[in-house]
Amino acid sequence: MMPITARIAIVGSGPAGCYTAQALRKSLPEAEITVIERLPVPYGLVRYGVAPDHQGTKAVTRQFQRLFEKQNVSFLGNLEIGRDLTLDALRDAMDAVVLATGLYGDRAVCVNGTNLANIYGAGAVTRYWNGHPDDSDNAPDFGKTVAIIGNGNVAMDIARLLAKREGDFAGSDMDPSISDPDVNQIHVVGRMQLCEAKFDVAMLRELATIANVNCSLAPGDEIGDVESDIGAVARELIGKKAGASEEIKVVFHSGWDVASIKGDGGRVSALHLSRPEGAEKVLHCNSIVTAIGFGPNNDLRPDDFPGDATSGNLDHGLFATGWFRRGPRGTIPENRADAQEISAVLVDWLAKNGDDAKRGREALLEHLGDKTTNYNDWCAINDHEIASAASDRCRTKVRTINRMLKVIENARSSE
Amino acid sequence: MKIALLYGTESGNAEMLSDDLMEELENENSCEVRSLGEISPEDLDTDTFYVFVTSTHGNGDLPAAAAEFVQLLETKQHDLTGINFSIFGLGDMVFSETFNQGSEKLMEVLLAGNATLIGERGLHDASTGEIPEDIAIPWINECLAALLQPAD
Repeated sequence: MMPITARIAIVGSGPAGCYTAQALRKSLPEAEITVIERLPVPYGLVRYGVAPDHQGTKAVTRQFQRLFEKQNVSFLGNLEIGRDLTLDALRDAMDAVVLATGLYGDRAVCVNGTNLANIYGAGAVTRYWNGHPDDSDNAPDFGKTVAIIGNGNVAMDIARLLAKREGDFAGSDMDPSISDPDVNQIHVVGRMQLCEAKFDVAMLRELATIANVNCSLAPGDEIGDVESDIGAVARELIGKKAGASEEIKVVFHSGWDVASIKGDGGRVSALHLSRPEGAEKVLHCNSIVTAIGFGPNNDLRPDDFPGDATSGNLDHGLFATGWFRRGPRGTIPENRADAQEISAVLVDWLAKNGDDAKRGREALLEHLGDKTTNYNDWCAINDHEIASAASDRCRTKVRTINRMLKVIENARSSE
Repeated sequence: MKIALLYGTESGNAEMLSDDLMEELENENSCEVRSLGEISPEDLDTDTFYVFVTSTHGNGDLPAAAAEFVQLLETKQHDLTGINFSIFGLGDMVFSETFNQGSEKLMEVLLAGNATLIGERGLHDASTGEIPEDIAIPWINECLAALLQPAD
């Protein structure tokens, strides 16, 4: 059989997109593979969604770096499909297109009071801390008491990053100018009992073992008696530190629904909780972070296309992978497995349909060349960020697109 | 020498490191890289030197494929006498309580089966920002030296 030399574009350079490029490259050594990204810089959720103090998790980018440096995969940044180029035009240029745009939007809590100020989505807060250009100016005003709604890993990230103090961020890329030292009480509200919480045990351990943090269970609440690792670790760690001298209190509220949000002068003042059997309580707080999952925030949805999203094949030569395909469930490794599956579907499709000898990347560069960024441009930003890292940090991020483009321009002109 | 690099991975990092070790070793040896999910304990033979590379996940757990391999080893109680192996673990001290417990579990089960550990278990801590290959390549060369020149 002839080697498959198809031209394939992957839209989105987060873990779903990069793992798909990796899997495709293994099966199709001769294919032209281009990873397209709306920002000038790659890696999506790894750079902007993984917490800045989880550099070990972010190190998965070393695999993706290898794609661009050694495995002949191209990065094409600062190119937004729908803004700079229609999806149809991209499909016209490529034999196959894979949508790996993730799920960017924070799911909202549907109760009265969500129009008040000082309610933030966890994704937007994480993007702010991570220096995402979309949210780099949106400094949250948390006040002293924060209520976090949600019981997943994202809720744990938010609680931990709020509980940490300047000295706890050594080795991270948390911008020293934006860490927030005012918060001293953090409520974590879960609809399920704590023993059925969705977060990883390791995340709870990490939070509970920060030196100045005191984790406790709200008076009258119970961890619950469902057998689980999380229940066992909660019993081992929560409420076990001596109180008084601890600086930051993290209080878990186990098995409560959000009933409403109350305000004072337009900003949040309290979160009202209830239980199905009628119990109620009020948490006074200065701000709320919702961490109850993610959803689409743009026009593109898998069900806009004739194909079945679960199969991964949305239309002729059009595929979907990662959270965009299957919803906001699963960690980075699960997107790797997903990417391998979709890659196999695509390779199979190419083998059956042949390729249409489309012009590929060349056709895109002809029209958009000057405006787009490439992997060398990213290397210039990466070098710049590492070189300008604050004393105990691993990098200081360039937080706006204009500044990114400036760094790139300087690097290009000094070549 | 025949060398088999067997990895357990969730995110792909252990697979990439295995590929890098193969690149280091393949000039002078006959090497293969395989997922622990592709082999079972009865496939192990005494003519091959085994290098295990695994990460740690969740609550100090092994990656799924490695966990299955360990379960097979434990339930079937294979006698691994004469099998030489080295083992390298990828971990992250951000999760200090369970740091590298995956590679520790795998090592203990292999030792319980009477396999022989060559050199010391190699460890990487992702929170240091060090490059895994920079630690694992000198480590594997030390292991090979120990295998070829056993102490008296």
